[in-house]
Amino acid sequence: MNAQPTFYRERIYPLLFMFIVTFLCILLTAGIYLLTQDRASANELSFTRRAILQAGGVSFENTTAGIELAFNEKIVVEDGYYTTQGPEGTRYIIPLQGPGLWGTIAIMVGLEEDMKTFSGLAIVSQNETPGLGARIEESWFTGQFQGKTAPFVMVEEGTASAQNEVDAITGATRTSEYFLNLTNRAADDAQSIIRGE
Amino acid sequence: MAKNTLRKTFLEPLGKNNPVFVQILGICSTLAVTNKLQNTLVMTLGVMFTTALSSFTLSLLRNHIPSRIRMMVETMIIATFVIIVDIVLKAFYPEMWKQLGPYVGLIITNCIIMGRVEAFALQNKPMLSLVDGLASGLGYTYVLLAIAFVRELLGTGSLWGFRILGSWWTNWSIMIMPPGGFFVLAILIWVIRETIMKEAKA
Amino acid sequence: MNESMMPFAIFFASIFTGNILLTNYLGMCSFLSVSKELKTSLGLGAAVIFVMATTTPLNWLVYEYLLIPFGLEYLRFIVFIIVIAAFVQLTEMTIERYSEPLYQSLGIFLPLITVNCAILGVSLFMVIREYTFLTSFLFGLGSGIGWFIAIIAMAGIRQKMKNANVPPALEGPAITLVIAGFMAMAFMGFSGMIALS
Repeated sequence: MNAQPTFYRERIYPLLFMFIVTFLCILLTAGIYLLTQDRASANELSFTRRAILQAGGVSFENTTAGIELAFNEKIVVEDGYYTTQGPEGTRYIIPLQGPGLWGTIAIMVGLEEDMKTFSGLAIVSQNETPGLGARIEESWFTGQFQGKTAPFVMVEEGTASAQNEVDAITGATRTSEYFLNLTNRAADDAQSIIRGE
Repeated sequence: MAKNTLRKTFLEPLGKNNPVFVQILGICSTLAVTNKLQNTLVMTLGVMFTTALSSFTLSLLRNHIPSRIRMMVETMIIATFVIIVDIVLKAFYPEMWKQLGPYVGLIITNCIIMGRVEAFALQNKPMLSLVDGLASGLGYTYVLLAIAFVRELLGTGSLWGFRILGSWWTNWSIMIMPPGGFFVLAILIWVIRETIMKEAKA
Repeated sequence: MNESMMPFAIFFASIFTGNILLTNYLGMCSFLSVSKELKTSLGLGAAVIFVMATTTPLNWLVYEYLLIPFGLEYLRFIVFIIVIAAFVQLTEMTIERYSEPLYQSLGIFLPLITVNCAILGVSLFMVIREYTFLTSFLFGLGSGIGWFIAIIAMAGIRQKMKNANVPPALEGPAITLVIAGFMAMAFMGFSGMIALS
């Protein structure tokens, strides 16, 4: 007769407790997630759009509204790529992807009408080492491609001088190399995408 | 009498019982982001929030948790609060969220939270546990901000993204890389122990 | 670049250049306290390798076939922890039942591991970097081996240090961190080892 409550205490109660706690936790989490979901997706869209604007060298106000405004005004959406009007003609903005050290690096490359000179570059996503490879997101790194032409040569951080030299990131040799491969492919890949291949 | 305990609970984790340099807890996840002051602040606030609320919640439940599954329940509650931090960041501070990446999720395994729950929250009243959690978080925050201050300043010549040291400064790149984090933390503990030990002897 | 080389490159990188402890700072708590004793370090390190190599692909399966189809990716923190805890609990019970010597040398460390940040961290990285099943196994295995090497090396050094003159304020965690810093620097030197082009 005493065995019954013990069985309950030892086996059933912990299981029940765990189940209830888990259920409540998941409920709370799901609730907050659903409440903020729209905001989160809007943010993601904004990020991609911002990368497109940066690659195209379009000026914009760095707010969600500003990005949406600039995007709708200045960017034309084509089949798999984007265009915008620059001071020297049409600029082509292409999404590109390539392997990084740890995962895929996705970027937006902006090319001038000659399909060789970079009008800009922006990172859409990367998974490199924080504080090292992840520094490819920093504006000094992405900004240095503007106005330069491939094929690029990577040099020690801070020493880039020639038209085709870009600074690597100190301590992130691998990531820098992978990134270099990606940017050197840009012009060819752009041609293929625009021709619809 | 109650006020005294409240005060004591608040002050201890800030100094005498500091989670980082006395208890040596919670080094894991946050060392990775201490190369930038801004990231550190966000992470430590996340830890503070989680520690405070987890301690509070688990203290409320402390008389009902079966001992067999104690650790799992703790982990579950802590994980929930961390996820909330993650979701809120993603929705309201997406830039920061991108920068912190996986390290927000790793707050779950931050030894401080589990440590405070086991050592304090399970034996004390909810309000007191809340204060203890907050204070531990604060004690954690200022130490990590100090580390980040040194690392960002020496490693990039800037603070909070703003350039402080002029172009005469050659960046100590080692500071923003992992070894730098280890060294700065070690030196900090050394300095603190020297001063505290000297006080203890005197 | 040879795509089929990728998983093995990640395997090597996770041991040396992206060492879960020395580069990503994960698993420090037990590392600092257990590395005092070489024998205990061996046991804990072996347990870590085992758990990492098994839970990472396991979590991959759960993520791929349970979370993604239902759009529940945001619950991965909770789910991964449950998977890890359940797996460790099961393993501990099995080892205790079938092999007393194995339990003594490995089993007793298993509960410690459930709260080891590195185990969860490896699973989270796997999700972020979008690894395949095979890669996630190699990543888990490699990370475990990397952690093992780090703790063994540290234990060995600390044994030798018993005869050295360490300033009292540095004793314990501080000097261990200094050594860890030097080890981290040394491991960074491995980044030239694998030439991927």
